[in-house]
Amino acid sequence: MRRATTFALAAGAALLTRRALRRRIAASPLWPMPALEEPVSGRGARRSTITLKLTVTERTEPAEGVVRLRLEALDGSELPSWEPGAHLDLVLPSGLVRQYSLCGDPADRASYTVATRLIEDGRGGSREVHEQLQEAVELSVRGPRNRFPLVAGTSYVFVAGGIGITPILPMLTAVEASGADWRLLYGGRSRATMPFLDEIEKLGGRVTVVPEDECGLPDLASFLTNSPSGAAVYCCGPDPLMDAVTAALGPGRTPHLERFAPGAAPAGAAFEVELRRSGRTLAVPADKSLLAAVREELPGVSYSCEQGFCGTCQQRVLEGEIDHRDELLTDAERDNSMLICVSRCLGKKLVLDL
Amino acid sequence: MSNTPQPAPVAEERIELKARNVSFEWEKTPLHWIPGDPFTGHTINVLHLLLPAGERWFVHVYKQVLPYITDDRLREDVIGFIGQEAMHSAAHDDVLPHLKKLGLDPTPYTAQVDWLFEKLLGDRTLPPGRARQWWLMERVATIAAIEHYTAFLGNWILNAETLDRRGADPMMLDLLRWHGAEEVEHRSVAFELFMHVDGGYRRRVRTWATAFTALAFLWQRGARFFMDNDPTPTVGKASLGAFYRAGKKGMLPSTPSMLKSIPRYLSRTYHPSQEGSTAQAVAYLASSPGANGGR
Repeated sequence: MRRATTFALAAGAALLTRRALRRRIAASPLWPMPALEEPVSGRGARRSTITLKLTVTERTEPAEGVVRLRLEALDGSELPSWEPGAHLDLVLPSGLVRQYSLCGDPADRASYTVATRLIEDGRGGSREVHEQLQEAVELSVRGPRNRFPLVAGTSYVFVAGGIGITPILPMLTAVEASGADWRLLYGGRSRATMPFLDEIEKLGGRVTVVPEDECGLPDLASFLTNSPSGAAVYCCGPDPLMDAVTAALGPGRTPHLERFAPGAAPAGAAFEVELRRSGRTLAVPADKSLLAAVREELPGVSYSCEQGFCGTCQQRVLEGEIDHRDELLTDAERDNSMLICVSRCLGKKLVLDL
Repeated sequence: MSNTPQPAPVAEERIELKARNVSFEWEKTPLHWIPGDPFTGHTINVLHLLLPAGERWFVHVYKQVLPYITDDRLREDVIGFIGQEAMHSAAHDDVLPHLKKLGLDPTPYTAQVDWLFEKLLGDRTLPPGRARQWWLMERVATIAAIEHYTAFLGNWILNAETLDRRGADPMMLDLLRWHGAEEVEHRSVAFELFMHVDGGYRRRVRTWATAFTALAFLWQRGARFFMDNDPTPTVGKASLGAFYRAGKKGMLPSTPSMLKSIPRYLSRTYHPSQEGSTAQAVAYLASSPGANGGR
């Protein structure tokens, strides 16, 4: 008799528990696991493995030898957002991958705009863009990514050479809207070959346009000495122009540079790295990666792909200006961290939290 | 000692492990990417819920084990493994916004998986020394157990021809097969690492039991989550019966084959090289569109 009572009680308790559980789950299907306060997955922050299929919806020639393409998603849906300075990787029909700066309006979420100049003796990318990317052609695109972000400030100096105006154009609009002080030196071979002159001259008197056939080469030194000494300097154009800007600024200041051809960038200058937690300072020679230098001191430091896409070697940077050369990190991550396998230092010294 | 069975690797198939910079296009992949079979699609979709946080956690744990490795060859393997896992995590993570766009928001579930791997299985506040080392070894052993199943699933997906015949989305199949092939390619690393730094049989059994239970719990829960939240009203419910039947048809791993894989991992002579074929995995990787720059 007592056993039967115990059995009935246990069975009743089990049934009640089951009913309570089912009710609880029905009320909130994801019970009983808690959620992470700041979830990481599924936010689409890095999008490092995504290719987008876009169509050329408009093709214009804003200057001699320059085509401007407007790209939209096949189904017209919203495209990932970007900030001034960002570029796209275009996978051309032959399989070549080339980077082009976005030169449209970041607020326009339905399309991307890129512009390219035909380089007669180039590596073939620009010729393919000019000859094959007609209206209605579909192409794959990766990005956008930003290796040339606009840092917050109150005063800016821009130097653009020819087609190098593309990443600068959205920057001008953003800086103008923020009310910051800015000026631009825009050089090119002749007015006819310089794209976006109309848009730029509309922005007012802080623009100096220097077509080479009318005025000769721009006087960088006087332009830079006449600009505020605390201004952030952004330069995009042919390598000799960027080298000249770097030289004219002198050793104390480093310009923000955007180089078009990956690999065309020199291996990089030598610099010093301080490993703050280990209390050691190392020299990183020009022909060696930061990762290789750190590994000699700390063999257990983590890394994997050594090409800047897997993100394993990301390290926190405490001081120093970073020369980001990876394709992975988001703008927010770039503020205080870097991939030490490919990225380097813009100045003389970096301090890592290692 | 000579009477104790030892793990027995099969013929040496060792290759250098290197992360591949993959790329996929999701715009054309429909929510029910296996036509007419949302249950099977969603059961496989659970991978996208578990792997972003899970494989990020593998990387996090393995970064901490690197200093304990005294075998240079194994260290090279682990370094390659870490990069591959980081890319797997990123690739599955990049599918999630697409699911959301198709009307099935996965983030309530992934926020919990994030909690599981970042908090519950995270570093915790442990004193340096034995406690911290114990927890690290426990997690290394858990990863070895999970990798037994990822290699099992990788081998399955590489051979799942039924999915091709049923018209499954080629982009999704390529993601799964690239991932599966790399899991087969690096299937020995997690186990060899565990044997190198610890290797205790009791720990192997204990962590297998935890990993198996957790995987079963998360998987059925994830499949139910997807089926319950699918915007198409006619998808029905997830059930064990449907799982068994899909396994019989070759649309999912079959239940008997899954049960048989249990004693294999628990055998004292187990070595991951006994399962799957590196040659098949490498052949797939050479031809995978996603692993070759999306072409």
